[in-house]
Amino acid sequence: MVLKIFFPQCCNLADSGLLVGRWIPGHDSAVVLAVIHYPFIPAQVKQYIQQIQRQSGEELAVLGSWSLPKESQEGMESFLRDLSTIFPQERWLQISRKMGKMGFTCQILSRSQRAAGEEREKQSRSEEDGEEEEEKEKVVFVHYDQKKVMLSRLHPVHMEDTQTAAASELRQVFQTVARSQPLFLLDRYDDGPLRSTHWQTEGREGSILVELLKRASVPLCLLLSWPMSIWTRFCRLRIFRIFPLSVLSSKLSTCIQLSHRSEHMRSISAPGAASSHIEFTRKANTVVSVLVDVALGILLMTWLYRDEHVATLASALVPAADRVATELEQLLQWLMGAPAGLKMNRALDQVLGRFFLYHIHLWISYIHLLSPSVEQILWYGGLSAGLGLTFALSLLSDMVALLTFHIYCFYVYGARLYCMKVYGLSSLWRLFRGKKWNVLRQRVDSCSYDLDQLFIGMLLFTILLFLLPTTALYYLVFTLLRLVVVLFQGVLHLSVDFINSFPLFALGQRICQPYRLAEGVKFRVLCEEPGSALHLLMEINPLSCSAVVQTYRTPASSCYPRDSWAALVRKLFVGELVYPWRRKSSKAD
Amino acid sequence: MSAFIVPKTRKYPVYSRVMGPDSAPGQTVPWRKVLWEPQPYPDNYVDHHFLEELRRNEGIRQYRYWAVVKEAGFVGQQMSSVAIFLTLWLYMEQGLLAPGTLLWSSLVCALLGYGLHQVLTPQTELCSHPRTHLADLQSAAIFLSFTFGFSPVLKTLTESVSTDTVYAMSAVMLLAHLVAFPYAQPSPPGSLSLNAALFASVCLASRLPGSLHTFAMLSCALLVFALWPCLLQRLRENAPGHFPGACVGVCIGGVGGLGSQSVGGALLLFLALASVTFLCPLLLVRLQRHKDNIHGPWDEAEIHEDLSRLLG
Repeated sequence: MVLKIFFPQCCNLADSGLLVGRWIPGHDSAVVLAVIHYPFIPAQVKQYIQQIQRQSGEELAVLGSWSLPKESQEGMESFLRDLSTIFPQERWLQISRKMGKMGFTCQILSRSQRAAGEEREKQSRSEEDGEEEEEKEKVVFVHYDQKKVMLSRLHPVHMEDTQTAAASELRQVFQTVARSQPLFLLDRYDDGPLRSTHWQTEGREGSILVELLKRASVPLCLLLSWPMSIWTRFCRLRIFRIFPLSVLSSKLSTCIQLSHRSEHMRSISAPGAASSHIEFTRKANTVVSVLVDVALGILLMTWLYRDEHVATLASALVPAADRVATELEQLLQWLMGAPAGLKMNRALDQVLGRFFLYHIHLWISYIHLLSPSVEQILWYGGLSAGLGLTFALSLLSDMVALLTFHIYCFYVYGARLYCMKVYGLSSLWRLFRGKKWNVLRQRVDSCSYDLDQLFIGMLLFTILLFLLPTTALYYLVFTLLRLVVVLFQGVLHLSVDFINSFPLFALGQRICQPYRLAEGVKFRVLCEEPGSALHLLMEINPLSCSAVVQTYRTPASSCYPRDSWAALVRKLFVGELVYPWRRKSSKAD
Repeated sequence: MSAFIVPKTRKYPVYSRVMGPDSAPGQTVPWRKVLWEPQPYPDNYVDHHFLEELRRNEGIRQYRYWAVVKEAGFVGQQMSSVAIFLTLWLYMEQGLLAPGTLLWSSLVCALLGYGLHQVLTPQTELCSHPRTHLADLQSAAIFLSFTFGFSPVLKTLTESVSTDTVYAMSAVMLLAHLVAFPYAQPSPPGSLSLNAALFASVCLASRLPGSLHTFAMLSCALLVFALWPCLLQRLRENAPGHFPGACVGVCIGGVGGLGSQSVGGALLLFLALASVTFLCPLLLVRLQRHKDNIHGPWDEAEIHEDLSRLLG
């Protein structure tokens, strides 16, 4: 049986006194939280401990006595032993240390022994009396840094609703120290009846910024919640449920980003403190990401509105659109000839080519119609960057989608034509072989066709087969164009999601105060003198950066590919319309 | 142990003298062809009944030469009709045959064939499957309108494909048509064979100079590949005496037509017809002699289900 005693490093050189702490239920260990020094009145000590117990909710108790005899204090042994009768415990620890020596000695007295009056010293001097080694209770001292353990959180963080013994020993140690915060409020400048030693004895630590933020957060939240409620009521208006607006608002990424940000702001401005550590970190992450976003956006704005950049951009936009249209026209002329030496069906080629050329002509007229007001549009659009860089990127993505709408149309036409052709061909191929698709059994069955069905089916099959290369080529070209646009939009969306969901606050915590996010602990041997107990130093293992990012990511709408590569290729081959990015929107839990 | 092997003339069971530990010499045990009882014989012992149950060439048919020739005539006839079609196409391509002429003659032939078909149908079948003239007219109208409507499209289909490819595809498809043709029962036309023939005809028809040519060629193809076998089947069933005459007529027509275009082709066709009609049956009948199938109780059991008892 090994008894583990978690001893705070700040108490290594404390004056003699009583040890206050907690026995960990279910494990053979004890956590020492503070040392209460002589002189004291036992009744006051008991009262104080009960008060702390009420405030913190932890079962604190007096564990034993600590003696670090200075020069003038001799003969404490019997005094210490008598103390054990005042505070009745199951087990009483007597830890002592000699100045100049590194190791502690610990004597454990059980209640039965004390009641019987005799003490059977169970020492950990193993080599003293070699013959009688009945139950040697070994003691291991684990030294810990109290401040760090108090502030740290052990990951993976469970919902802290139970104090069951099922939680591991380490978790219970961390919980005990974290919850015993009221114990550490008594410093040496207080005029109370008791003197204690813990990590905050020299004076309570605090940071002005943190205190200011804490005080200012409540009025800020109230201030924020008022416009948020107005905005929420506005968004819930019936008018937005009607068909065109609802479709538009679900497709435009600016609207989606707007809804996300309002969701975030709503969660920040909710009255009531964060109930758990994770919620607090999430809120902090959201605040930091909003601030960073707005800062970047303002940076963009200062660049945009300086030196007539808006006008330059506007004047470059219309010629760029013209250029794109000319390139497309040239592409179509090439397709209408003999592209890459392939033999196309001339008639169909001409038909499709002319159709698409007419479309481009329409589009160019539309762009030219808009050209006087492009600068105004850009100017007002740039204002949206004030809301955040993400808004500017979403607006850019929407504008790209609008400008390349004709490519999207071409893609849809080509894909539909190709899909119908492939479908018709596969069905007629089955007719060629004398088979048919059985819808009920989902399999191919033989079928005896009539003469007229065979004849007409054969004609159509021949026509479709010979026209396939032409259609396939047009489909291929337009699909490639569409995929380029989709890729560009995807990059924009990914960067928006990155800014939205990256946990900057948690990462900052990990870098500046790594002990706050603990993954586990590691032990280092401090002193291993023969004849005294083993002393270990417990150091906190911080969570790895990737685990931090994974745990604290804001579950915003993440944009990820809908299909795997194989499914995407199959869809492209058959001619189904592909929408490669899927938006997964989930509420933050 | 000593075993006596009795010569085959005797018909009584074999007795063998076994010097076993618990049997007195002179005791005999008849051998039975079972393995589930321990017998004093080795497992692979056989007696003179061995191979008595062997049957050779059970159930083979005796072919008679001329009957086979008559049936083989059908195959030759089909080859010849393909040759007739190709001849017509060659004439059209060279411009020697006007599409109008072909169309009118196809129409006349179709009407004649229809009339013959109706005449040959026995009365009983007319009553049980009443297919009215109106339905036939409707089918014909659908064919003609579709073909006429699509013929401009069909004409430009193979413009960009090289001539060699077109000829190769057509040849392969016509070969597939001949191979997959349901010679036993041509009346409901086999899908693969008819489709292959139509595909080949579309490929060939798209090479012609005008869309009316295409239309005429396709109507002719329909006649030759889809309607003619139905008539032939009717003939075979109901006027078996005239059937060989029809086959011979078609063969002569095929050879003659091809001969007017290319003598080499005609010669090739003639040789093919001769071998299919006369040589192959001869081989079939002659080689029957060498057939040597053995059957016996060791064959796999075939279950002949008699479903009529289930149908009550």
